[in-house]
Amino acid sequence: MVAGMPLTYPIAEQTLDNGLRVVVSSDRAVPIVAVNLWYDVGSRHEPPGLTGFAHLFEHLMFQGSRNVASGQHFSLLETAGASLNASTFFDRTNYFESLPGGGLDLALWLEADRMGYLLDAVNQENLDNQRDVVKEEKRQSYDNRPYGDSYERLVKLAFPEGHPYAHMTIGSMADLDAASLEDVHAFFRKYYGPNNAVLTIVGDVSEEDAFDAAKRYFGHLPAITTPPPAPDGTIGPMTDVQRDDVESDVPSDLITMMFRLPVDGTPELDAAGLALDILAAGQSGRLNRRLVRDEQIAQSVSGGALPLIGGVSFGTLTGIASDGIELQKVEDALLEEIEKLAADGVTSEELATVQAQAERDWLEQLATCAGRADEISHHALLFGDANRINTRIDQVQAVTVEQVQAAAQKWIRASGRVQVTYRRSESGEQE
Amino acid sequence: MSQVLTTPPAVGAPRPWRFPEAVTTQTSVGAPVHVFDRPGQYVATVRVTIAMPLIAEPRELEGVATIMSRTLDEGTELHSANEFAAALERHGAAYGVDVSSDALHVEISVPVSHLAPAVELLAEAITRPAFNQADVGRHVTIRLGEINQERANAGYRAREAFAAHLFDASTRRSRPTAGRPDTIRPLTNVEVADFYRNNIGPERAEILFAGDATGVDVAGIIDAAFSNWTSSAGTALATPEPIYLPGNRVVLVDRPGSVQSQLLIGCAGPDRRDPAWGAAAVANHVVGGTITSRVDTVLREEKGYTYGTRTSFAAPRKGGTFSLGGAVRTEVTGAAIGDALRILREARDGLTEKEVQEAKDSLIRTAPLRYEQADSVAQQVGSNIANGVPIDFADTYLTNIAATTAAEATDAYRRYVGTDGLLVVVVGEAKDVRPQLESLDLGDLIELS
Repeated sequence: MVAGMPLTYPIAEQTLDNGLRVVVSSDRAVPIVAVNLWYDVGSRHEPPGLTGFAHLFEHLMFQGSRNVASGQHFSLLETAGASLNASTFFDRTNYFESLPGGGLDLALWLEADRMGYLLDAVNQENLDNQRDVVKEEKRQSYDNRPYGDSYERLVKLAFPEGHPYAHMTIGSMADLDAASLEDVHAFFRKYYGPNNAVLTIVGDVSEEDAFDAAKRYFGHLPAITTPPPAPDGTIGPMTDVQRDDVESDVPSDLITMMFRLPVDGTPELDAAGLALDILAAGQSGRLNRRLVRDEQIAQSVSGGALPLIGGVSFGTLTGIASDGIELQKVEDALLEEIEKLAADGVTSEELATVQAQAERDWLEQLATCAGRADEISHHALLFGDANRINTRIDQVQAVTVEQVQAAAQKWIRASGRVQVTYRRSESGEQE
Repeated sequence: MSQVLTTPPAVGAPRPWRFPEAVTTQTSVGAPVHVFDRPGQYVATVRVTIAMPLIAEPRELEGVATIMSRTLDEGTELHSANEFAAALERHGAAYGVDVSSDALHVEISVPVSHLAPAVELLAEAITRPAFNQADVGRHVTIRLGEINQERANAGYRAREAFAAHLFDASTRRSRPTAGRPDTIRPLTNVEVADFYRNNIGPERAEILFAGDATGVDVAGIIDAAFSNWTSSAGTALATPEPIYLPGNRVVLVDRPGSVQSQLLIGCAGPDRRDPAWGAAAVANHVVGGTITSRVDTVLREEKGYTYGTRTSFAAPRKGGTFSLGGAVRTEVTGAAIGDALRILREARDGLTEKEVQEAKDSLIRTAPLRYEQADSVAQQVGSNIANGVPIDFADTYLTNIAATTAAEATDAYRRYVGTDGLLVVVVGEAKDVRPQLESLDLGDLIELS
């Protein structure tokens, strides 16, 4: 393909009578088919006291359903040659598998059985077991690694109490412990149904056969009562500075700043994301040049935007101090660069560079059936427009240097941020 | 109108699949070029794999290969470090290096539309590095900081202790690839440039392209970019066979404040020269290769001790390892190790026909997924070259797997796992874990801090 040429992945859509949105992108060049379901339930939908529930279902959905024994979901799909998993995020939960085309019916049957009849298999025993597994996941991913709780600390400061993004998807272990089997069943009945999901099928199947198969396996499932929308999270930029300073046994001192950003799907968010990229992305970003290469006050820098749909997004900048350098110096340099970008803007060369990087990222994301299916589900569920996968690059390319500066001026400021710092404790420094 | 089907629908036979074929040519400077044309893969990977066995490093300067590799793009004869990064990233390219026991891989991924200028920059980094002391010194400092991060990482600590206690000290792999503080600190641009001169040259290199080559003279672009690569490093040293330490023993690495114990349990394993390499992979899949395997069925699904464990047979060019890795709750560390060892040892008594058939189906049928993306083709071929096997080794491997019987899978497993003892590494809160280990009869206990 030629740079700047629009992508032309085929997109066909139908909505079944029960409300399931089905999107098909046929690609007969590969012997693979990808099945991807996005459910419109993420941690932002969780009311107080039920945090971690969306993610808990990511586990329970593999424990069997009416016609599928525990463990059988994995074993049937693996034997058919599938790669499969699931993930939970602030905005949604998704379930996916890729496998040779001959396994499409099996994949759809398994997904339909758990969409319709999961609760037949959710009992106290597998709830207790998967709650234990989730606790081990939290220990592994958050508690047993340095800085592992930084995002938990940051979102708590960046958003008011009860805001849909003020807690992480892993949730509170106390909430999970307090959950009764009935709470768990009720959460499923509320959110898991055909009219609260998008089913995407990509790869080695004709459009006609794919829609027929979707109807065959999902058509009989009853619609659920329309779930309540997630609370509106609309909120403007931060207007003050909030800090959480941690002293702990970390290997190096670290600072992460978080900023609220515009909601996903807007040119303003794209512009804010590109502003953060100009600061923090790649080897040629401003922060890497200054803090790591020239002044050598940081071992590494990173950052970027995290697009979200519920009224607001957020973005971060992180710096790890070089040994013997006071973390304050890193903080000061980050703030100087933030304010400089807001005041002086960016060059067209810098913008073109991060746009070129975004283009490569996007093309790589679409390079597999699984990646394409995921983005189709994403854009169909959150924006109602699967074809955005073909125009996404053009949207990013259309952002101007003026828009980048305007977004940075409004959202990425020294005077409107939260930050967490980790400094080595005395005992840590002796190592 | 659809009806509820109460049994799984049949799975249709997969389309026949083979590893993608390359068109191989040679650059004017002698390095082979393998072009894998992958229509629809708009982002290409260009990977230069250079034979660079780590045994070429002086013992007191271990890590010099890593610092050399990381500073190739930190300033060249034509561009400063900042200019080079800006030029490469302006073309939408990402650049990376990887150092393994046997080879250096330098690569870019780039939209095919920007291939030619990005490949020129890749060639510039490989053939004309400047190795300014300012840049080398900075990377020495960064590596020292990285070592601090590694020490805080339970998984890294487990791998480091595992290597140090599975291999004899005379084997290079008993020590970290990227060096330790005492071998990193003395490095300057003099040692780095020396190592480069003695080890990097076209006679040791093979160049791979994987991506959509429609209408692009890939071989011509690569040949032109590398046409001035006239240095010579001679042929690479041959790595000796590794020496393994046998016996049952346990290494407990104290990591105060841990809320989980990181486990790594294992022993010697086959490498790709062994005809049973494929059969060993089948056995691994049954024992601990997936969430439905014997180990996780108990440790995760029955007992809820862990978020998940995995086993693997892994190998560079010579001498492999078998290992089971994962993290378990501190309070159940002893119980989890006891269960894991029991399952690993019981597997020696035989894997069932059903288990082996399912493992074979999974390994064979997932192949097209593994190599769908251009980059994964380049990764596989690069590691094949590093490991000294043909570039289409994936086909041989899959053929061997298809022919494996349950008895052969069991034999391959029995030859290694539990035959000369098992090394158990635990990284966690030693004061809580130690009493749990004492009742387990794991052999000698070594405690490290």
